[in-house]
Amino acid sequence: MKSRFQTSDRVRVLHLGKTGHIRTPFYVRGKVGTVSELCGYFLNPEDLAVGKTAGPVVPLYRVSFRQTDLWPDYQGPAHDTLCIEIYDHWLTEGQEAS
Amino acid sequence: MSHSHEHGHDHDHTHDRGHHPSLVIEDEAGNIEGQIIIDALQNILVRKNLLAPEEVTQEIEKIEAPGEHLGARIVARAWTDPEFKERLLANGKSAAAELGIKVGEAQLIVVENTEDLHNLVCCTLCSCYPRSILGQPPSWYISKAYRARTVREPRQILSEFGLNLPDDIELVVHDSNADMRYLVLPERPTGTEGWSQDRLATLISRDCMIGVAKANAAA
Amino acid sequence: MVETTRGYHDIGGNPAGPVPKDELPWLHWEKQVEAVRNLLGDGTRRIISLDELRRGFESFGIEKYSSLSFYRRRVEAMIDILIEKEVITRAEIEAEIETVRARWKNV
Repeated sequence: MKSRFQTSDRVRVLHLGKTGHIRTPFYVRGKVGTVSELCGYFLNPEDLAVGKTAGPVVPLYRVSFRQTDLWPDYQGPAHDTLCIEIYDHWLTEGQEAS
Repeated sequence: MSHSHEHGHDHDHTHDRGHHPSLVIEDEAGNIEGQIIIDALQNILVRKNLLAPEEVTQEIEKIEAPGEHLGARIVARAWTDPEFKERLLANGKSAAAELGIKVGEAQLIVVENTEDLHNLVCCTLCSCYPRSILGQPPSWYISKAYRARTVREPRQILSEFGLNLPDDIELVVHDSNADMRYLVLPERPTGTEGWSQDRLATLISRDCMIGVAKANAAA
Repeated sequence: MVETTRGYHDIGGNPAGPVPKDELPWLHWEKQVEAVRNLLGDGTRRIISLDELRRGFESFGIEKYSSLSFYRRRVEAMIDILIEKEVITRAEIEAEIETVRARWKNV
């Protein structure tokens, strides 16, 4: 699978409604962040958890979020961020940064 | 299962909401039960020719070997060799290999603290940690309190560890949720000019490589 | 679409009390749990991967997940997956546990 995003792209984390083993935490779903790098291509843990090892590999990105976008009650300065790894199929294009 | 279920309630643990502690600690009975269960499982697997006892002994030695001393070597080298540091920040696994340190995880991402930026690492979903270099994570790292709160109130967490970060320093929290593992490269303490790598390594604690502390001062 | 699926282990952002600073020793049985899992997941066996182990403890139900210690969760998850894959049976492991426990008592 080809990577759909590049460094600096704005991306939104999807609500996929999947059950089973998921490595995309609830707290980033629906949120918009910025791709900081492509980590590489890895087998999807959602499939590996049920023994499906055939692939294909999936692009994995590090995505950076402003803490004030993640938490309405964030107690800290506006420049604080959170960086987390998200697989390609959990992402769609985000809005332009305001 | 028919065995009795024991879990510890150490008298000074803390509770999150609900009646379960943030860190469940086994008491002596619980630890004995744990030993019984793993011995029983190992016995069955050995009888089924899936494991040999000697392999288990060897594997235990292998997982006991890494520890903060390996991370400290990496940091001390990065402090004294700027070109190594650049290679480390570009690809942690291959730079560690230059020192004879084998990273067993998919990749090691080394994040650098500066006078303007501080990094903090956690794993909200379970306990992901660079075990192949730092060994086992500390108990607090796998507690539900650390996992739940670090992404949301990191500055308060740092204060609980005695590190009060001024607001003009940017704080980046890394949730180690997938295939990458993280090592914080702390700032080199002042007053350490000319120190050997071995001497520098004495200032580098496990906690400063997770991000809940700075490297020790050169007192 | 509003997200309706959230594992009970997916606790990032939940309220919680102070971080417990206990520095617990790493005990032999805990190392043995890790060692057995590593061996079962190695290239010659490929019986339990880390992802399957995680699915295991994410399937306990919140009560069991919240009340077991870290390494106890891992050994219980390993047992669940080995039973699922028909490597062992529940009856086998329960019988062996009783056998081992009896030996402890007789020491």
